[in-house]
Amino acid sequence: MSDAEALRRFVLDALADVGATVSEAEPLSWIHAPERVRSGLEVPATFAITFDPDRTGDFEAELVAPGSYFLERIVALAASRGRWDVARFEAPGAGWIERSLSEAGLGSETGVHLETAELGQTVLLLLSFRVTLVSDEKREHFHLIAVSPTTGSAWEVDPTVEDSGLMAFPEARIEPDLETAYRLGTEKLRETTREAVGAFRAVSLGLLEEEVRRIFGYFDRTIEEIQAADPDGSQDLLRAVQGERDRRLAETLERFDPKARASLCAIRAIHVPTALLRLRLPHGSGIAATVDAWSRRVHGLACDICHGIDGPWIPHAGAVRCARCPPTPAESVRPRGRPRSDTPRRGTRDGRGSARSPRGSTARSRASSGRRRAP
Amino acid sequence: MSLPASEAARPDDASLSLQFDDADADLLARAFRTPGDGPRAWRLNGEAHRISLIDGFDRLLAWPSLRGVVRYPHQERTCLRVLREMRGRAILADEVGLGKTIEAGLLLKEYAIRGLVRRALILTPASLTGQWREEMESKFELPFAVLRSVGDWERRPFLIASIDTAKRDPHRALAQRTSWDLVIVDEAHRLKNRLSVNWRFVAGLSKKYMLLLTATPVQNDMDELFNLVSLLKPGALHTYDRFVERYVGSADGRVPAHVPELRDRLRDVMVRNRRGIAFTLPPRRVHSLPVRLSPRERRLYDDVTEFVRDAYWSVSGRMSWAARLTLIVLQREIGSSTFAVAETLNRLTQSPLFGSAERGRLEALRDDARAIPSNVKADRLAGFLRSSDEKALVFTQYLRTMQYLKGVLERDGHRVVVYHGGLQPSAKDAAVQAFRGDGQIFLSTEAGGEGRNLQFARTVVNYDLPWNPLRIEQRIGRVHRLGQEREVHVVNLWAQDTVEAYLMELLDRKIHMFELVVGELDLILGTLDDRRSFEDMMMEIWTLRQAEERRAALRRLGDALVRARDQYDAMRERNDEVLRDVSDEVPA
Repeated sequence: MSDAEALRRFVLDALADVGATVSEAEPLSWIHAPERVRSGLEVPATFAITFDPDRTGDFEAELVAPGSYFLERIVALAASRGRWDVARFEAPGAGWIERSLSEAGLGSETGVHLETAELGQTVLLLLSFRVTLVSDEKREHFHLIAVSPTTGSAWEVDPTVEDSGLMAFPEARIEPDLETAYRLGTEKLRETTREAVGAFRAVSLGLLEEEVRRIFGYFDRTIEEIQAADPDGSQDLLRAVQGERDRRLAETLERFDPKARASLCAIRAIHVPTALLRLRLPHGSGIAATVDAWSRRVHGLACDICHGIDGPWIPHAGAVRCARCPPTPAESVRPRGRPRSDTPRRGTRDGRGSARSPRGSTARSRASSGRRRAP
Repeated sequence: MSLPASEAARPDDASLSLQFDDADADLLARAFRTPGDGPRAWRLNGEAHRISLIDGFDRLLAWPSLRGVVRYPHQERTCLRVLREMRGRAILADEVGLGKTIEAGLLLKEYAIRGLVRRALILTPASLTGQWREEMESKFELPFAVLRSVGDWERRPFLIASIDTAKRDPHRALAQRTSWDLVIVDEAHRLKNRLSVNWRFVAGLSKKYMLLLTATPVQNDMDELFNLVSLLKPGALHTYDRFVERYVGSADGRVPAHVPELRDRLRDVMVRNRRGIAFTLPPRRVHSLPVRLSPRERRLYDDVTEFVRDAYWSVSGRMSWAARLTLIVLQREIGSSTFAVAETLNRLTQSPLFGSAERGRLEALRDDARAIPSNVKADRLAGFLRSSDEKALVFTQYLRTMQYLKGVLERDGHRVVVYHGGLQPSAKDAAVQAFRGDGQIFLSTEAGGEGRNLQFARTVVNYDLPWNPLRIEQRIGRVHRLGQEREVHVVNLWAQDTVEAYLMELLDRKIHMFELVVGELDLILGTLDDRRSFEDMMMEIWTLRQAEERRAALRRLGDALVRARDQYDAMRERNDEVLRDVSDEVPA
């Protein structure tokens, strides 16, 4: 969808959401706005809007385009509504627990055994944030963070897929622990944006340093030139030059001072089926975990190496490690069970060739250098 | 002693962390206490935020949807360069007529949309404050106010001020106390002297971004360039001594040295678009249509002039500003039509500005004017229009003249569209549409199509001549502008032995005004006399009693205009020598 189409759909949808009726008469759209929103939008009962800047003269239609006053008002109106919502998610048929475990790297093919699964319901919270980075320029990002107050975990959600499969649940009465959810959500947001914020700061400070160096260079040399030209000259002139330098420095510091702000835009509570699981790991004892049907994330596990709580997981010496952590030296030279692959192995006609002998990096290196030496 | 640069630049903390909005607590306190607005409202909330996100200056947000602006690629390139590379501090030094005002307005709009500019100040010559306000409002929807009182510094976040007013107390202190996000200085060559009050005033303003607009950064010598750049970015051209040593090649400071290197340095702070192949405007052809007034018109013209001269000098020194203005209007109207002057004469018969004897004369003049059924100039216009199949814009200064001409031209079989300041915006749009369609004559007052795209026509008729030459230039600029591909015809109607004949003598024969590019005339007149407007100078000459005195004064003004034109031509060459190819862009 083009930017223009997305803008058009948003505006007409936002007007319909507040009870306005829209009738299309290309290139204009005629809007009848209910009384309660007229003052906020600064419009009469009936008015025309257009998305074509050349048609704003027609019936004094309000222009809707980036930077137009009307778009500013409709955005403000939409952003002031829908700040909390309750939805529910239904389990997508049988087998969702097994599929979730498999996606998390804990499927039966890995040797993990699901012993028990106790079904229940939980409430997840989705917090949307707007992050604004400002110095002499501005960069903004939108983040959606899901929080499970019961397991204490938080993770980022792709805003474009967040809505799929959710159903309205207006009759629900809930009292979620918003304080905890907010704390977890903001911690996760800090973690998610750390890199972008750091990069923004580095650019701003680089520019600031360059400006400050130039200002000092210019004014200090100017003072030297004044003194050289007239060693007994007026101190007032020197003080004036120094005053101007200080003023310019203050201006520059203000201009390039980086700031990073975030604000909570809205909160959504989602009723989700969950399962309390008892898993038995290969070569290990049993562990407890939970999984929810919406995110299909397995909660309650921690990486044996980095202690991170985000999967996917790899069973490891009676525990689990996250897939991002590198294998331990012992692990890398030891043959271990792998998920079965459908890809035929090289060098065999039907893919049933002998398994490659396990080799460490030294062996691989020797093999390749041996090939290089061959005549 | 100075701090080391790196030390001054480094804030104490080594990292930047997110600061969360205090208002978040309100939402946490209110959420789920009442039912929400529904899933659609939740989705729209997210979309509202995503649609309004700002991602640096990856593109111009307002550019595609500006109203009444013909968009040119060089303007878009300029703005992106100023935003991304110059970080909002630049000298916009496009050659005359390439749209510096549009570029400045667009930059301001882009910053405003991003919330980076909430307070902006535009400093202009006094004569341009209204024009800037109108352009910012109509083209960019930016609600600027023109400075009227000291309270405006506090009250108005978007303010336009005459630099001559702003630099004086009490305004100066208030302006310098305010923290401006953006300062725009039009005609920035007035900041050429760093010892001047103008320069020191602008240097003393606290501002984040600054745009200096001038087509002629170098007017006399190279010092001016240094002063302008130092205002924006001190050190960009070294220190003054080093600058002179390196880049000035003569004792009088007029000859540049190491020009390629100088241009390299200027590229960091200056954009200068030049007229190139695409922007070579087609030539103008000027047609002068002198008219001999009928005996009754002649007598009325002379009688009105005599009344004006008598009144102008009889109470010399005690005449109110209002009375003086009234006399100027009267003299201008009689140059337009007997119908325009008849109405004013009628009003003045009741005016307290004049005594009973003068009111008696005014009544007689009014009756004479009313008794004239038609004007020779209108017949001449009709004759000219009959000889051409072209669509034509016919300009007059007065609504009453417009009404008269509409009747004359319609009786002559023309399809006439009228356009004036009293029309509703939708009626103005309809008028332009009708002219673009089967309309033949676009009959317009001074409000005529400012900012409208009328380049599909190429004939401009000045039925009367405003005494302010910039207004004449604005009229021509409606069709002789970027986008016009055909030769433009400018037709001037004027009666012999009138003020308008004087104007033609000065503007056409002396400085060949009708051959100038729009914008150049302002630069020429700007060097003429800072204190008096061209209109005032014309009135002072016209009201001299002796014909010989008038001729001598006219000659002196003509000579001054010629000198100003020569000075401008020399200045243009000097700028071209120093600043050619400052912008990496291909010529526009």
